[in-house]
Amino acid sequence: MRSSDAGSELSPIASGPATATRRDFLAAAAAGTLSGLAGSARAADADGQMTIGVHISLAPAWFDPAETAGIITPFLVMYALHDALLKPMPGQNPAPCLAESWSATEDGMSYEFVLRKGTTFHNGDPVTAEDVKFSFERYRGAEHTTMKERVVSVEIPDPQRVRFNLMTRWPDFITFYSSATGAGWIVPKQYLEKVGDDGFKRAPVGAGPYKFVSFNPGVELILEAHRPYWRKAQAVKRLVLRVIPDESTRLAALKRNEIDIAMSIRGELAEEIQHSPGLTLKPAVGSAPYWLYFPEQWDPASPWHDDRVRRAAALAIDGPTINQALTLGFSRLTNSAFPENFEFYWQPPPPVFDPEEARRLLAAAGFPNGFDAGYYTCDAAYANLGEAVLNNLTAVGIHARLRPLERAAFFKGYADKKFKNIVQGASGAFGNLATRMETFVVKGGVYAYGNYPELDELFAQQASELDRGKREAILHKMQQIVHEKTIYAPIWQLAFISGVGPRVGQSGFGLIKGFVYPAPYEELTLTRA
Amino acid sequence: MKQYIVKRCGYSLLSLFLLSLTIFFFVRVTGDPATLLAEPGASEADIAKIHHQFGLDRPLVVQYALFMFKLAQGDLGQSFYYQTPVFELYFSRLPNSLLLAVVAMTFSLLVGIPSGILAAVRVGTFWDSAGKLFALLGLSLPSFFVGLLMILFFTVYLGWLPSSGSGTPLHLVMPAFALGWYFAAAHMRLTRSSMLEVLGSEYIKLARLKGLPQALVIGKHALKNALIPVLTLAGINLVLMINVAVVVETVFAWPGVGRLLYEGVSFRDFPVVQGVVILGGCMIVGVNLLVDIVYALIDPRIRLEA
Repeated sequence: MRSSDAGSELSPIASGPATATRRDFLAAAAAGTLSGLAGSARAADADGQMTIGVHISLAPAWFDPAETAGIITPFLVMYALHDALLKPMPGQNPAPCLAESWSATEDGMSYEFVLRKGTTFHNGDPVTAEDVKFSFERYRGAEHTTMKERVVSVEIPDPQRVRFNLMTRWPDFITFYSSATGAGWIVPKQYLEKVGDDGFKRAPVGAGPYKFVSFNPGVELILEAHRPYWRKAQAVKRLVLRVIPDESTRLAALKRNEIDIAMSIRGELAEEIQHSPGLTLKPAVGSAPYWLYFPEQWDPASPWHDDRVRRAAALAIDGPTINQALTLGFSRLTNSAFPENFEFYWQPPPPVFDPEEARRLLAAAGFPNGFDAGYYTCDAAYANLGEAVLNNLTAVGIHARLRPLERAAFFKGYADKKFKNIVQGASGAFGNLATRMETFVVKGGVYAYGNYPELDELFAQQASELDRGKREAILHKMQQIVHEKTIYAPIWQLAFISGVGPRVGQSGFGLIKGFVYPAPYEELTLTRA
Repeated sequence: MKQYIVKRCGYSLLSLFLLSLTIFFFVRVTGDPATLLAEPGASEADIAKIHHQFGLDRPLVVQYALFMFKLAQGDLGQSFYYQTPVFELYFSRLPNSLLLAVVAMTFSLLVGIPSGILAAVRVGTFWDSAGKLFALLGLSLPSFFVGLLMILFFTVYLGWLPSSGSGTPLHLVMPAFALGWYFAAAHMRLTRSSMLEVLGSEYIKLARLKGLPQALVIGKHALKNALIPVLTLAGINLVLMINVAVVVETVFAWPGVGRLLYEGVSFRDFPVVQGVVILGGCMIVGVNLLVDIVYALIDPRIRLEA
């Protein structure tokens, strides 16, 4: 502990030999007072408290599952405050939580959930089937239209069971209900009707392992263990999510034990953690693959129309070196544009870095001296990755100019299909292989600049296929085609790197596959409280 | 005098109106907030839903008219990101910014004025050069750099001060220094030049000829006049410190108005950016109006010329 270290370093001066001057004593006293006062704010001093330095400002919208946007970030808070009928958990996705079991009818038109007995909200109200129905009906977050259009009714056959009746067969219902949206996260009907939506955001009540204590927007969120929690007793009594926007400051706070976990520490700062005694790096690979996309591959006049050129680009990427340089080797090199933790994932052959073969392919395609590929457009936040990949492309003769765009402008331009040449894209959205295909591959996809009829056909087939094995086979075939045609040149599945202090036993990182934040919170432990 | 005040108030209102117009349209040039609120890969329907939720699907003129209508009622709207009224957010952060600004200002005056006096009195000596170097560094070193160096030294190496946040007096030390140094440098330079001007004036020569001790000449006769422009500048600087300590508040995770502005810009939270800029503008315009009125009260030539 740094406070005691400071004290021990100073003690020889304070109790030192007779030659010590009055100035020495005053300096020592001042330093001791300062360290003592400063130490009062340390995470280590709070009994049973874990302080997490977060990199983003926490938004009250994340307190209400009904408003879950199609992003992963709200789940950072939702895993603490709320609980779902089913949700991704360690080793199981989806795992039964507030529902102890679920089943589907033979025709796939109904799904029934049996509620777990004895679960309560933070205000003591029991979790009931009415709450489940209410939570679904008030859901207005991402994909709510899809959910509402496809679920024709929600029935309560008895107080412990809830039945969802579908309009048509929808094999992805459970994926959407349990992880791709916030529709399956349960809020207390009675409390919400009493306090209203705004009141709920000010004082949220959920059925999660931690209950709300206070929130200071942009500053910190304080939570306390909700006991008894059905899954297990929480080892950490109090959780503080403190917003520290600057990465260097987060690291300094971690080194001084002001916080126990510093989220999102990258590059050289992450290396600093590796060299700091007592601190540990915790990388978690999320569901966000990065890739190169070639929007002109459907244009016969473009070099990218030739799949040998696209393959050459894929072979030119020196993944291992880039991974080591930018994420200390923690990102997962992949040969797929889809996350490996997704349902129906097909394992492609491992990625290969072969610049010689890349040059040969380019020559065979009619570009022995390479060609001017125009712009390489990317999200400015990942321009460092862009630079590295661009250097690799240049080395084999694919010359392009980096065009980093501010994040929002990049994704808007990408979705509006305004980019040409090469696009460095990524997606961390929840879902499964089918939801990714729909967005990025098949006709009409938000980020699909063109389409291949055989993939569209296969996609339509899988959408109504209830047999899991057959569906998986179709989705595997689709991924194989995407790979063979090199529609995308995959780069990596990005690792989210965090630093963990000496007091932390279990940090929760990486327990849930594809989830980059510490969860489930009830698993967190302190080595000494 | 009454006419003068009415005219000044009119100009102030016009300035605020132009400010509201500028910030409203400029902030919208930065892009679409929906693309930041939704995850990459979000469907067009999701984006459209966000537009509708925040009224961004309406024509710009309608949005501005609604904004001004609400502003006239004292409502700056609701933050897109925090979904909390901007007034509430602003006033929850204001006490922290005030505290930081007052401490930083006190530091800047306590350091800037004496060093400016010393540099002027000992012009051309080591003290003058040291003061000028202090001012040069204060004005040229970016506050984020100063802040990070301080964190590295006082937090990581010495372990004396907390790295970030608020709550104890020790949390104030580094942000107040990082913020106050720049202003201390400005105050030092102004005090020095003002003192040099005053010290060269006839009445100071007369005081010296009369045999008054140096301390009395400096402290009683010179300083009084030399400090007028410094204190006027300090008043304006205080308002700036409250509203634009964006970098310092972000580096030290200080929960003030500057950080709120940073968050607003980061998330394209239009109501927050508009609110912080307009309320900051109100303070600056208000202080200037007050100064104009006080000047006019003291010096009749000003109101007569106007």
